[in-house]
Amino acid sequence: MKVKFFALLRDITGVKETTDFTGTILVELLEKLSIHYGKDLTRWLFAPTDPAQEKQLGGDVIILVNGRAIEHLAGLATPLKEEDEVAIFPRLAGG
Amino acid sequence: MYGWVGQILRVNLTNGTIKKEALDMVEAKNYLGARGLGTRFWIKECDLKMDPFSEANNMIFMTGPLTGTMATNAARYNVVCKAPLTGAMAASNSGGYWGPELKYAGYDGIIIEGKSEKPVYLCINDGEVELRCAEHLWGKDVNETTDTLREETDIDAKVACIGPAGENLVKFACIMNDYTRAAGRSGVGAVMGSKKLKAIVVKGSGAVKVADPDAFLTALTKARKMVKDHPVTGQGLPAYGTQILINILDQSGGLPVNNFRDSGTFPNADATSGETLAKTYLVRNKGCMGCGIGCGRIVNVPDGPFKSFGEGPEYEAGWSFGADCGIDDLAAIIKANNYCNELGMDPITLGSTIACAFELYDIGALKEGDVGRVLRWGDAEAMVELTRMTAFREGFGDDLAEGSYRFGSKYGHPELSMTCKKQEMAAYDPRSLQGMGLSYATNNRGGCHVRGYMTAPEILGLPEKLDNLVTDGKAQWTKIFQDLTASVDAAGICLFLTFAIGAPELSEQLMAATGVEYTVEEVMKVGERIWNMERLFNLTNGFTKDDDSLPPRLLKEPVKVGPCKGSVNKLDVMLPEYYEARGWDAEGRPTPEKLQELGLQ
Amino acid sequence: MAKVLMLDPEKCISCRTCELACSFKHDKEFRPSAARVNVVQFEREGISVPLMCLQCDTAACEMVCPTGALKRNDVTGALELDDEKCIRCKMCIQACPFGNIAYDSAKNRILRCDLCGGDPQCAKFCPGGAITYVEASTGTLTKKRAYAAKFKEALQEVTK
Repeated sequence: MKVKFFALLRDITGVKETTDFTGTILVELLEKLSIHYGKDLTRWLFAPTDPAQEKQLGGDVIILVNGRAIEHLAGLATPLKEEDEVAIFPRLAGG
Repeated sequence: MYGWVGQILRVNLTNGTIKKEALDMVEAKNYLGARGLGTRFWIKECDLKMDPFSEANNMIFMTGPLTGTMATNAARYNVVCKAPLTGAMAASNSGGYWGPELKYAGYDGIIIEGKSEKPVYLCINDGEVELRCAEHLWGKDVNETTDTLREETDIDAKVACIGPAGENLVKFACIMNDYTRAAGRSGVGAVMGSKKLKAIVVKGSGAVKVADPDAFLTALTKARKMVKDHPVTGQGLPAYGTQILINILDQSGGLPVNNFRDSGTFPNADATSGETLAKTYLVRNKGCMGCGIGCGRIVNVPDGPFKSFGEGPEYEAGWSFGADCGIDDLAAIIKANNYCNELGMDPITLGSTIACAFELYDIGALKEGDVGRVLRWGDAEAMVELTRMTAFREGFGDDLAEGSYRFGSKYGHPELSMTCKKQEMAAYDPRSLQGMGLSYATNNRGGCHVRGYMTAPEILGLPEKLDNLVTDGKAQWTKIFQDLTASVDAAGICLFLTFAIGAPELSEQLMAATGVEYTVEEVMKVGERIWNMERLFNLTNGFTKDDDSLPPRLLKEPVKVGPCKGSVNKLDVMLPEYYEARGWDAEGRPTPEKLQELGLQ
Repeated sequence: MAKVLMLDPEKCISCRTCELACSFKHDKEFRPSAARVNVVQFEREGISVPLMCLQCDTAACEMVCPTGALKRNDVTGALELDDEKCIRCKMCIQACPFGNIAYDSAKNRILRCDLCGGDPQCAKFCPGGAITYVEASTGTLTKKRAYAAKFKEALQEVTK
């Protein structure tokens, strides 16, 4: 599946997109990204929690699966298929 | 006097008189300043049904009580008059340094009356105010005008002026201040041109005082920290400017493409993004007076056909000259945007009008003979050249200078004008953002994104994420956003702050600055009062419920591609809910009870 | 070791918050014309430079002052003006080669930076890091690093 990064996250990952990672649900994918790109990305993806606890989405990240915000899907449990596109943004605005 | 400086300048261009008047503090407390107080003064003094280019259309430049203080990003002033583009109230908001300087010179605002026979400029140096001949400046662009006036007066003076577009009564001409900041929308620059007023030069050496300096310092320090710590205002906007939005709107399926005909996604959106700009043409960031963000972009295209140096583009201009025209050449977008700055035009309306021309040509309603050239989607060179021609009303530019509604009507297709109340919408497709559609449709100044920015909750998750495709609750949210925005505008601070701070922080800063009891409830009430006052102006001018509408395309033609494929805007569902939320009747008229509650009888 | 003000015009976003903070600290009002710091703007080139007195070690203003009104604060290193001793002769303004001293005619007084007694508000509120208040040695090093980073970028560009 394709994962796209935007804005400040591109500086962390050094790439605009990657197809190197997969997962059956979103949290699996994010954990793989977190391990690969390290703590600078992790602090955007996940809220700081006790390692024993369940992962929680970071408060300042926007994640779209096929263009839909995951708040309106199943959050971190959103199921993923191989042909899906996941877009990850830091919280941003303008206008 | 605290917050406000307590004095208004009244200048009559017909007979050349200049008077200083005390600020009406009863009105000031009820309407704060800028957009609110300016509109209030205009309505009190002017015949509502006049022709916008008539002598009787007063032009009011008004700051807010926080303008020029160290409150978060308090650099704003508004220009209020009846708008040539819409026939509705115009209140165009600008930053930079000019508004604060006016207060340092000792004035909360300037009321311009009448019309001059010959070009003049107004020169203000603290208490010394005079009208001077501007014949040597007529025809000059914004940069030349500003340079010349500063050489003539004071090198540090602040200049608000019109460019050739304002002189030529282009219906969406801006007033430009400090070279690159614009009171941009609805054609206030054309009204200034009709009065033969080329510029207002201000130099001020005085002070703005606040009621409780210690409390003010505490309030502004807290608010500034929130702005700095917030990822949007502390990181995203400084790093990438407003053009940061293009990718998320594109990825979410909310980006209007090719005059909203092919909306959904734009294949090469990233080429025009804030990220790309930061890696290519960005020289440095720039902020307005007292700004803690610095979203302004100083840009340089060093060579090639679109070589230019200037400021911008903002997201809306990046879209209107970009995706809306099918263009993905960032250098061309920058060139067109710089033309708009230098010649004094609103890039939202202009880009959207050019997009309308591209579509009219595409369907055969416009011929090569009409335009003087072939037009096709994505033609960057044509877009840039049409931009220049429009400012001078040269050839086909004369048609474009009327805005897309009058232009589309002339060629038989008003329905292809992407406007509300004849003013072009911004870079968010109402089929993909239901609430933003409601906001456009009910906006008192027509299609505009900065009077109720529903994109924040619908796409950006601020202050919380709402589903962009549903209508539930959007009426209430839109009302609250519209009211808060009116208060923010009237206070004289920048709307971008509201990504990081809210009504409580505005309330704290306003109270400490003015000494007036502006509780959170009162802040919201002032906003609602301003909104209803503007609404009454429009209703008196013949606007009705039917004008709370969107172009038929957005109600009937579903989005063709992307995540919002198949969606249309469900305005018919939201509008009655909105009227109810506002306390208006079924025809969208404020009820007598609502008017009484707001003190607006 | 005493701290010093460091200026980095490249980071200046032209917001003039320093001017507001300076006048507010000294007079409890917002009056940029009476600020001890000024942002000199070159709008057409897109450049702005914050400038204020950087407290010369051998200071022309101090030497020329006929009444000894300028006195070094041993803790902050700032030359502070004794308003009682100052006779408003304005010789310090003429003597300063940088133009960093001004006369406020409205209030009949000399304006020059006093480092806010060791907590300069311009640096405190500068949003872009164009004005910082740092240990002298660290300050110098930081600047060196910033310029070295430019070389690094240039070299990386070449080796790409």
